[in-house]
Amino acid sequence: MAPGVGRSFTAASTLEEAMAARRQGAVVLAGGTWMMRDPQRGVDLPDAVVALDRIPALSKVEIDSDHVVIGAAVTHAVLGRALHGAAGFEGLVAAAENAANPGIRRVATVGGNICALDFAAADLAPALLVCEATVELETFEGPKLIGISDFLKDRHALLAEAIVTRIHLRRDLVASAHIRLPLRKAGDYPVAVVSLAVDKDKRCRIAVGSVEPVARRWTALEQAMRASQASALDPERAAGLALEHNDFQGRDGREAEGWYRRQVLPPLVKRGVAALLKTEGLAWL
Amino acid sequence: MVVTFQLNGEDCSFHGDPMTPLVDILRRERFLTGTKAVCREGFCGACTVHVDDEAVPSCLKPIGLVQGCAVTTIEGLSSGNQALHPLQANLEAADAVQCGMCCPGIVMSLSAFVRDNPHASRPEIKAAMVGNICRCTGYERIVDAVADCLDQARKAGQSVGGLHV
Ligand code: FES
Ligand code: FES
Repeated sequence: MAPGVGRSFTAASTLEEAMAARRQGAVVLAGGTWMMRDPQRGVDLPDAVVALDRIPALSKVEIDSDHVVIGAAVTHAVLGRALHGAAGFEGLVAAAENAANPGIRRVATVGGNICALDFAAADLAPALLVCEATVELETFEGPKLIGISDFLKDRHALLAEAIVTRIHLRRDLVASAHIRLPLRKAGDYPVAVVSLAVDKDKRCRIAVGSVEPVARRWTALEQAMRASQASALDPERAAGLALEHNDFQGRDGREAEGWYRRQVLPPLVKRGVAALLKTEGLAWL
Repeated sequence: MVVTFQLNGEDCSFHGDPMTPLVDILRRERFLTGTKAVCREGFCGACTVHVDDEAVPSCLKPIGLVQGCAVTTIEGLSSGNQALHPLQANLEAADAVQCGMCCPGIVMSLSAFVRDNPHASRPEIKAAMVGNICRCTGYERIVDAVADCLDQARKAGQSVGGLHV
């Protein structure tokens, strides 16, 4: 039989239908921008897929006064438009509006971005880490909520029996920024990404993507900034602390070697703090 | 699997692997070879088509996701026997076409952009072209052509592809 002739494709219109296909072993197809490149990577496309784009509840962004819920099938372009101008989400909007290129952003989804296991350069991952997002999963046992940090760490195991359905965000940020370093301005994967946010208690949250295989919070720097006597929200001072507390092991990759990804972090922190200081939320500083 | 969709305004159906990239169906089955498959990774933009009026890379679009959608290719924008799309006319006038490999993708990306952004600035035009790679022109003439196209439409109080500006 020619490859793909017997492939099963479920265009689920409900979550129940999607879970039924998942139980039969179907792999989740989001926008397709990662999976469709499997043949390029020498990987066969799955024999059975289930598409989520026809499930209305997963394709909307709900914005409330104290929280935001993002459906997993929402595209980067839709997310950027939906949250544009929402105070505190400047970083997430920048991540959604600058990832990849415009054509990809119209197709690639939020769920796909955080579920692509081998995609270290996902822009939304660090941006959602500083939002302290909660990921909602539909598992074979029912719905489950998990913090984004734990989700990113354990997603390999979690996704074996679940579908990501929604991302929940509290509206507790006063400002955020997302600084990415691609080699060219046009559409490259970023060598390193630094997301920063300041919450209502004036605590600074920082996360790094693309430097290590999985994005993570930079807790050593967050603690150093908290402990710092002088105003840590000074770009130069923050860069100095970033240099001192750089505990990343850079990954070698096609775009850059690990040492370089690690070394560019302090200047990116400096740019990030400068960007934070320009936001309306921090005008009081 | 059978997938039905509209292709350049006509009903179309496909029988086969639902994970077949749209670009392959356009080129191999429909002989619409204006759409190019170059990188097949979403980086070059040469395969850009409109799906439900949005410019997207057809190399990464499995046909299964196109069920019920309206697809427009470069051939659907102007058949060749009728007037060119204003953007095509401006690209020609600005001598912005060299080998031509990137041009269908650029036209499909930017025709949607000029439709939706009648007041776009030069930096906005450049940002909209980030996913379209051209190895020949150095881009400036393409940006000139888009800016001219928008300028003419504004002066005439007309639309570029549907929206009045
Ligand atoms: S062939 Fe589709 S983006 Fe290059
Ligand atoms: S004209 Fe040759 S690639 Fe653009």
